Amino acid sequence: MSAFGLALTPMKLRQRRVLPGFGLSLGFTVFYLTVIVLIPLMALVIRPFALGFGGFWTEISTPRVLASLRLSFGMAALAAVIDSFFGLIIAWVLVRYRFAGKGLLDALIDLPFALPTAVAGIALSTLYAPNGWIGAILIAHGIRIAYTPWGVLVAMTFIGLPFTVRTLQPVMSEQSQDVEEVAATLGATRLQTIFRVVVPMLLPTLLTGTAMAFARGAGEYGSIIFLAGNLPMVSEIAPLLIITKLEEYDYAGAAAIGVVMLAAAFVMLLALNALQAWAARRR
Amino acid sequence: MSLIIDSVAKRFARFPALNGVSLNAPQGAFVALVGPSGSGKTTLLRILGGLEEADSGSVRFADLNWLSMPARERKAGFVFQQYALFKHMTVADNIAFGLRVRPRRERPSRGEIRDRVQELLRLVQLEEFGGRYPSQLSGGQRQRVALARALAIEPRMLLLDEPFGALDAKVRKELRVWLRHIHDKAGVTSIFVTHDQEEAFAVADLVAVMNAGRIEQYGAPADVRRDPKTKFVAEFLSA
Amino acid sequence: MSGKFQNPTQDPLLLRIFLSLVAIGFVALFLVLPLLIVFKEALADGLGKAFAAIIEPDALSAVKLSLLAAGIAVPLNTVFGISAAWAVAKHDFSGKTILVTLIDLPFSVSPVVSGLIYVLVFGLQGWFGSYLLDHDIHILFALPGIVLATIFVTFPFVARELIPLMVDQGRDEEEAAISLGASGFSTFCRVTLPNIKWGLLYAVLLCNARALGEFGAVSVVSGHIRGQTNTMPLHVELLYNNYDYVGAFAVAALLALLALLTLVFKTILEWRYADELAAMHRH
Repeated sequence: MSAFGLALTPMKLRQRRVLPGFGLSLGFTVFYLTVIVLIPLMALVIRPFALGFGGFWTEISTPRVLASLRLSFGMAALAAVIDSFFGLIIAWVLVRYRFAGKGLLDALIDLPFALPTAVAGIALSTLYAPNGWIGAILIAHGIRIAYTPWGVLVAMTFIGLPFTVRTLQPVMSEQSQDVEEVAATLGATRLQTIFRVVVPMLLPTLLTGTAMAFARGAGEYGSIIFLAGNLPMVSEIAPLLIITKLEEYDYAGAAAIGVVMLAAAFVMLLALNALQAWAARRR
Repeated sequence: MSLIIDSVAKRFARFPALNGVSLNAPQGAFVALVGPSGSGKTTLLRILGGLEEADSGSVRFADLNWLSMPARERKAGFVFQQYALFKHMTVADNIAFGLRVRPRRERPSRGEIRDRVQELLRLVQLEEFGGRYPSQLSGGQRQRVALARALAIEPRMLLLDEPFGALDAKVRKELRVWLRHIHDKAGVTSIFVTHDQEEAFAVADLVAVMNAGRIEQYGAPADVRRDPKTKFVAEFLSA
Repeated sequence: MSGKFQNPTQDPLLLRIFLSLVAIGFVALFLVLPLLIVFKEALADGLGKAFAAIIEPDALSAVKLSLLAAGIAVPLNTVFGISAAWAVAKHDFSGKTILVTLIDLPFSVSPVVSGLIYVLVFGLQGWFGSYLLDHDIHILFALPGIVLATIFVTFPFVARELIPLMVDQGRDEEEAAISLGASGFSTFCRVTLPNIKWGLLYAVLLCNARALGEFGAVSVVSGHIRGQTNTMPLHVELLYNNYDYVGAFAVAALLALLALLTLVFKTILEWRYADELAAMHRH
């Protein structure tokens, strides 16, 4: 990897541009990015501060807004942890084991990417409703998922799984197995090798996948609203509250929540970049 | 206490890697397996380390039925060409690994482990580097860490797979002299795989020249050089 | 002897079985069951009823609107993606990292926030609200708003798949073509495009699936006018909330079929062109 980087360095020093189309392609890229993404985002960032920072804070600090933010971010964190645990196992099974039907299992992982969130939402809602296939079993044990905060968790877990699996898979399959061999020759049992060598080595990648699942879950809307019951202060997620405020023409209130979510997205992006840098340093 | 390899054979899906290899080495010997790539030398080493299964044949070492033991119980310190250091651990943690994974009854105390790691760091001349990570070391330093890690478990046997293959010529020469010194100090039996005949003849007590899954000739370096038994050995030595 | 050998890089049989069952079980419970329930509910009253729900005029107009929105958003984002990848992969300039991060930004923004920003720009209280009203231009609650929101949420798809692919392929071939006297355009068509065509198809496929299925962002800007500004996922929501479960699941099944078709194509591409696509998953 580093040898490759070294080989590229002299190219950076070259003054003349050999390949054409630089101005056109970069110009169009920046123009399109600015019009579609940056200017509208600017509209969001500026909006709540029309009321001053105090006004912004008033919008955010109402109990209902705080509860929705806590629910969205809290459940997203929990869902990301569940996804990283099972994602680690699924990726390991897909990369290291051979069995019939593995190709199908692999292809199915992307389902939450491909399936529209509204479809996932009504499907999950039907499954986990008290008379649904899963809901009926759980209710018999006194566990209620649909129309509670746990519905939020189920939907977020569904939506986040591909992120952890698909982040881990390529790194796992490229990781050389000689460290596992060396661990065995040093006397480690297979479980010691897995927990002291394999998993810690995958840690940056695992955290990257977890962060991505978290970011996706925190912003998720479609798959949740059908299942969660949307009770204010209890099972109302932040994106839903934005829509509610918009419907009440409370643009500033909606924008204030939007800014918080955007800020969180930025923090996650920075965290992801830092994680990537950490992973690269280890190589 | 000698190493007796008897008719070990191994076949991969398409080609035979080892065609019944036999070799004896006294306790404490430094044996080099030398030959072109694909000659089976690495396969033999991996079988000795418990990383690969032999199809047939037997190995006795220290009166143990060596091949029936899993890698983890053999106490054969294995050193890889690409170091295979644990990148998420410091140098000291790498070296301590083999001691920390022992069952509680056999595990040395924390203090003993720390002392042993210090002693090994001194042995491989990296006393100041215990807190560093492998990515912060040069290739030669990394290979010294890998060797210290292998020595930490007080191995019965040292298995070295092209340990200097990824290093430049100058470092290679320094390290092989130093490796020989370590070997003599530790008193273990060492098997050393290399494709570089000059390196093999400079460092080993016994040299096995391998070709196409067979040992073409086995003996003291001076004897092999003076009297090549086959056309292949003669050609290999003159290359 | 063969029975006794323990491969140090292979998990013990019991662990393999256990982890495989965990992986298969989790995927079955969380991914396969929701998919099955969609088709089960759609066919609850027989195939005829499901079919009728799809060819009913409001449903058909939702299909048309979704196809139209995707038909505009996907080609635009494809052109953008190619242009961005050409600029980033084939040239050196400062600020490249920032540009790539900004291109990725819409992925980490909540879909609802993606819709919200356009409301803040074009809505009644928005930047251009009064101007649009005076000139009777409809962007929100009309096709342009739906297209904009769709473009935003599918913005990074093509670019982020193509950039690593084209970086990996280097510049030698293009430079050779230019040195042989080819024009920039014919270099792109004859050298670059053949090298990236499968990756491009792959990215367009995913972009299209997301464009057809987007719910949260479109929900904010569409206005939910039945038969006019409802896309397929919005129509699903409307039918579901009106307790027309067969209708909702019939349209959902159509979307699920599209998702499955996407997955099948994607899997075929991954199997047949594994080497060419490998670079895209290595970033």
